[in-house]
Amino acid sequence: MQQPAKKMKKVMVPRVVDGKETMVEIEVEDTGDSPKWGPNNAHRLLNKNITRVDAPLKVTGAAIYSYDVRLPGMLYGRILRSPHAHARITKLDTTAAERIPGVRAVTVVPSAAVVEGSQKATEEADKKNPIKVGGTAQPASNAVLKIVRFEGEPVAAVAALTPEIADDAIRAIVVEYQALPHAVEARLAMKPDAPKVMPEGNIKAASKSGDREKVAAAIAGCDAIIEAEYSTPTVHHACLETHGMVVDYRGGNTATAYASTQGTFTIPGDTAKELGLPESAVTAVVEHMGGGFGAKFGIGVEGKLACQLSKQTKAPVKMMLTRTDEFLFAGNRSGSWQKLKGGAMADGTLVALDATQYRLGGLGDGSQANQPYVYRPTQSYREVSSVYTNQDSSRAMRAPGHPQASFAIECLIDDLAAKINIDPIVFRKKNLPDTIYHRQIDRGAREIGWERRNKTPGGSAGPLKRGMGCAVGTWGAGGGPSCVVDVNVARDGAVVVAVGSQDLGTGTRTYTRAIIAEELGLSISDVLEKIGNSKLGNANASGGSTTVPSLAPALKDAAVNARLAVAGKVAPLLGIKPEEVIFADGKLSGGGKSLAWKQACAALPASGISARGAWKEPLQARGVHGVCFAEVEVDIETGFVRPIKMVHVQDIGLPLNRLAVASQINGGMIQSLGMALYEGRVMDAQLGIMLNPSFNDYKLPGTLEMPQLVSIIDDEDLREAVLGVGEPSLIPAVGAVANAVFNACGIRVRELPITPDKILMGMMKEERQKS
Amino acid sequence: MNTFEWTNPTSVAEAVKLLRVEQEGAAARDQDGVPQPLGGGQDILTTMKERITRPARLVNLKGIRGLDKIEGNARRGLRIGALVTLTQLEEHSEIRRGFPGLAEAAQSIATPQIRNLGTVGGNLCQRPRCWYFRLEQVVCLKKGGTECYAAVGENKYNAILGGGPSYIVHPSDLAPMLIALGASVVVEGPSGKRTIALDKFFTLPKEGNVRRENVLNNDDIITEIQVPASAMAARSTYLKFKERSSLDFALSSVAAAVEMDAGGTVRQARIVLGGVAPVPWRAPDAEKSLVGKRLDAGTLAEAARLALQGAVPLEKNAYKVPLTQTLVRRALAKVGGATTA
Ligand SMILES: Cc1cc2nc3c(=O)[nH]c(=O)nc-3n(C[C@H](O)[C@H](O)[C@H](O)COP(=O)(O)OP(=O)(O)OC[C@H]3O[C@@H](n4cnc5c(N)ncnc54)[C@H](O)[C@@H]3O)c2cc1C
Ligand code: SF4
Repeated sequence: MQQPAKKMKKVMVPRVVDGKETMVEIEVEDTGDSPKWGPNNAHRLLNKNITRVDAPLKVTGAAIYSYDVRLPGMLYGRILRSPHAHARITKLDTTAAERIPGVRAVTVVPSAAVVEGSQKATEEADKKNPIKVGGTAQPASNAVLKIVRFEGEPVAAVAALTPEIADDAIRAIVVEYQALPHAVEARLAMKPDAPKVMPEGNIKAASKSGDREKVAAAIAGCDAIIEAEYSTPTVHHACLETHGMVVDYRGGNTATAYASTQGTFTIPGDTAKELGLPESAVTAVVEHMGGGFGAKFGIGVEGKLACQLSKQTKAPVKMMLTRTDEFLFAGNRSGSWQKLKGGAMADGTLVALDATQYRLGGLGDGSQANQPYVYRPTQSYREVSSVYTNQDSSRAMRAPGHPQASFAIECLIDDLAAKINIDPIVFRKKNLPDTIYHRQIDRGAREIGWERRNKTPGGSAGPLKRGMGCAVGTWGAGGGPSCVVDVNVARDGAVVVAVGSQDLGTGTRTYTRAIIAEELGLSISDVLEKIGNSKLGNANASGGSTTVPSLAPALKDAAVNARLAVAGKVAPLLGIKPEEVIFADGKLSGGGKSLAWKQACAALPASGISARGAWKEPLQARGVHGVCFAEVEVDIETGFVRPIKMVHVQDIGLPLNRLAVASQINGGMIQSLGMALYEGRVMDAQLGIMLNPSFNDYKLPGTLEMPQLVSIIDDEDLREAVLGVGEPSLIPAVGAVANAVFNACGIRVRELPITPDKILMGMMKEERQKS
Repeated sequence: MNTFEWTNPTSVAEAVKLLRVEQEGAAARDQDGVPQPLGGGQDILTTMKERITRPARLVNLKGIRGLDKIEGNARRGLRIGALVTLTQLEEHSEIRRGFPGLAEAAQSIATPQIRNLGTVGGNLCQRPRCWYFRLEQVVCLKKGGTECYAAVGENKYNAILGGGPSYIVHPSDLAPMLIALGASVVVEGPSGKRTIALDKFFTLPKEGNVRRENVLNNDDIITEIQVPASAMAARSTYLKFKERSSLDFALSSVAAAVEMDAGGTVRQARIVLGGVAPVPWRAPDAEKSLVGKRLDAGTLAEAARLALQGAVPLEKNAYKVPLTQTLVRRALAKVGGATTA
């Protein structure tokens, strides 16, 4: 019999590789009849405030993170890092470390495990320079790390009975380095005579677009021109749980990896490869994890070392990074340096922009959204390149590349507005073709009290000056087909929903339950979720805000299928057709009869019913906006900036759990506030090392820095579809805070973070200019 | 951290003995591995974990009785045991009333958890926070190396006064205030007790041993801090400027105390700056400029100017000059009873 040809359709979906989002076109089956969410205001559980189901476990400390896993016979791993930014290892002797009582294994980092970006250069150098390991000369083919290219690059690792012994042991490994010239600052690395960070050169041109001459001509005719440079430092994910995993392998045919990861399914393959097992023999467990923000995909160099040590010792090995490790080689948000020149007319038209953008990703390419970002001047030119330095490669971090670009363009927009003396939000609305921004700007302006703001930057009297700023952002936030969800309803009425997906702390567990409960007319506590295990149904890694839009449609589909399956068995009892059964209030009813859920389930077969769900494209959407307003107070005599209030307005389609969405938005604002006012990696250019790799010296905002945070879900977004919200909520706040500082005191700080010293230096310069 | 011997003396004499270094000569006490006293452990544990200090022996002072008391009052002056915690200082009603600046200084430190454990003796003897000093792999001048990396490197937080060859700033918040209040420390060593005025206690790197911050020998212990009764104590304040309000060291701070007559004229004044020099920095010219004057805007501005006289900023810390001037003005305005300056 001939199969009828499946109807296919093409859809654009994000493909997230190491947290970097690119759009690809794929073909999916056009099943035509996707379930629907229904109107956003017609839900019973969804789009309401739902307390997260894992909250009691987390606040009581009962939740088991990878960091908490303790197994019988488990060893502790520690990593020896390079203290140099660039050096050749001439000798590596592990004998003394091996002799320390309690040390069970020592392993040397193979070249292949080198952190992203540095690999190619390392391999080239390896060919030329054989080194000695353990006292004996090794041929280059031995694939042992011979050149280190950043401070913190892993060199060797040990496994020992206690973390303290492991700490002593890494220090007992004798490594001799021959220091090589390094470049850790982009401006120095760009000089023609700078030491070569990459064999092919320190600058890599990425893209160019527009006609520079036309742009120059257009700018020349403008009423107001701003030309300035903007820079943002490397900032860190600062996950409270560091990277790492516990590998439970005792030499048998199977292994379990308890990993702190954003991608349950990124773990088994890598682990299996290191252990020499088939992929299916490895189970990844991710019950709870303490933050990822884009830095935790795959097992990483730490996971590889854990596997090596476990293989050597046939014992479980726990390899969780120290905080210093975390700062030095577990990823960061790339820095940026942008030279912008823009012009506007007195009527508020943004005419042209010329942008030179440098992505500063250490040994990696870094990321930066293209200018003019969301704005659409009539003419624009940009060139983007990566500048390599002897620092660890940047990784994806919550909205990779966006806050950097948004900060620069939003400052420029504000400065142009000040120059032509037009209200910055009027100027923005005039130059943002997408009117969704207009309604969000109006909403945010109302909430912050925009009419109270300083009309002239720095204009208010006295040393304590208040100011307000605004900025906007954009993100994709759509999903793709990867999740497989199983729902099982038992004859005793128990409902279990299972999918391998991880909960980054964003509330996956809670909406996983809620979607099923909503469909079956049950309450949240009637459903149990099983997640965070690679033996469960497949799921995508959480990058690019794709978790909700990839997972929730499959949950909905599974829920609908489960409902239909239950209805099929129960309808005869009610004497009605399956599609007539109403699921509500813990009851199944129709035809004038009603059965309590448990009663109804008694009609199910002994094995209960099982239903499966897959991604349905129409249940999700792509493309969000986002507007942030900030109010600050600047003490112009000390340079101190006190954040007073922040408001973020976000469209997100159907918010599955309003509480979780508000929480995401708050978190986005907080992380942005950190980037705007406090955080930044500090490098010593001469020594080539990071000076502040600790929570004492790398200054995250704390409780006392918190302004009043107002997160507003834009309910005028009537899309009956789910979208991700993690990333968009972080983007505009950096620019909003920077603009608020400018509005308050009239000092424009273009180099983040905006610390008191920079404001005071700005004041001093202004005074000098006055006199 | 490296392994070390843990000892629990019950008397000062025993503690002093346990601190003795066997080798002869001045160099012995700079040496890595010498025994060290332990107060609340809030600083020394961090330096040990980072392997910046590697004492072979810790001499736990907390088993010595009687060092954790605050005695006296505003009329008689205070005797503060070296093991008194920062929380005790901060909460002591007599101190809050009679020596408000001291309670403010204690309260400005770190976090409640750290203040619950950190002691007054440990606070005065804590090690610097210079980034380079705190990194295990950097061997700068202060750690026996040959270079001060901060002098030409990242020196945003370093000294603008009294620097060279090391440019640390002294991290203690209690020290400037105690100096402004005219305090002394009682020190016990192998040859008995001596009392040292706190403004002679800290040493500039160019005067003393660059590897230490004070005059103590390795086997000296601070047992007590004495704060005299003074006509200035009641009008004392500590203004600490932090880049981040939650848990931070001072970018700059000012301890001020004044005595004024009924008409508001200053009889005597003390101004000590923190966070700007390797030692708490007394500003005698500024102090003198106030005597016989009322604390009006002009007087305050002049005192602020004089206090920062001679400042030689490094490449990245010139901002500390106007910042500290602001703090001087504001601190004086506060002790003088004005609300703004
Ligand atoms: C995160 C953090 C933030 C901090 N912030 C601040 C701050 O803002 N301001 C501030 O002033 N401090 C700060 N501190 C530093 C310090 O921990 C506290 O000030 C505390 O008072 C130290 O006291 P302790 O008793 O714990 O000292 P310990 O750690 O026990 O000792 C410190 C040093 O003093 C020596 N010592 C201790 N007692 C005596 C004694 N009686 N005689 C002789 N030597 C002695 C020890 O050998 C050691 O070298 C901070 C510390 C941390 C960890
Ligand atoms: S200021 Fe002192 S501690 Fe800092 S680098 Fe210089 S010598 Fe070392």
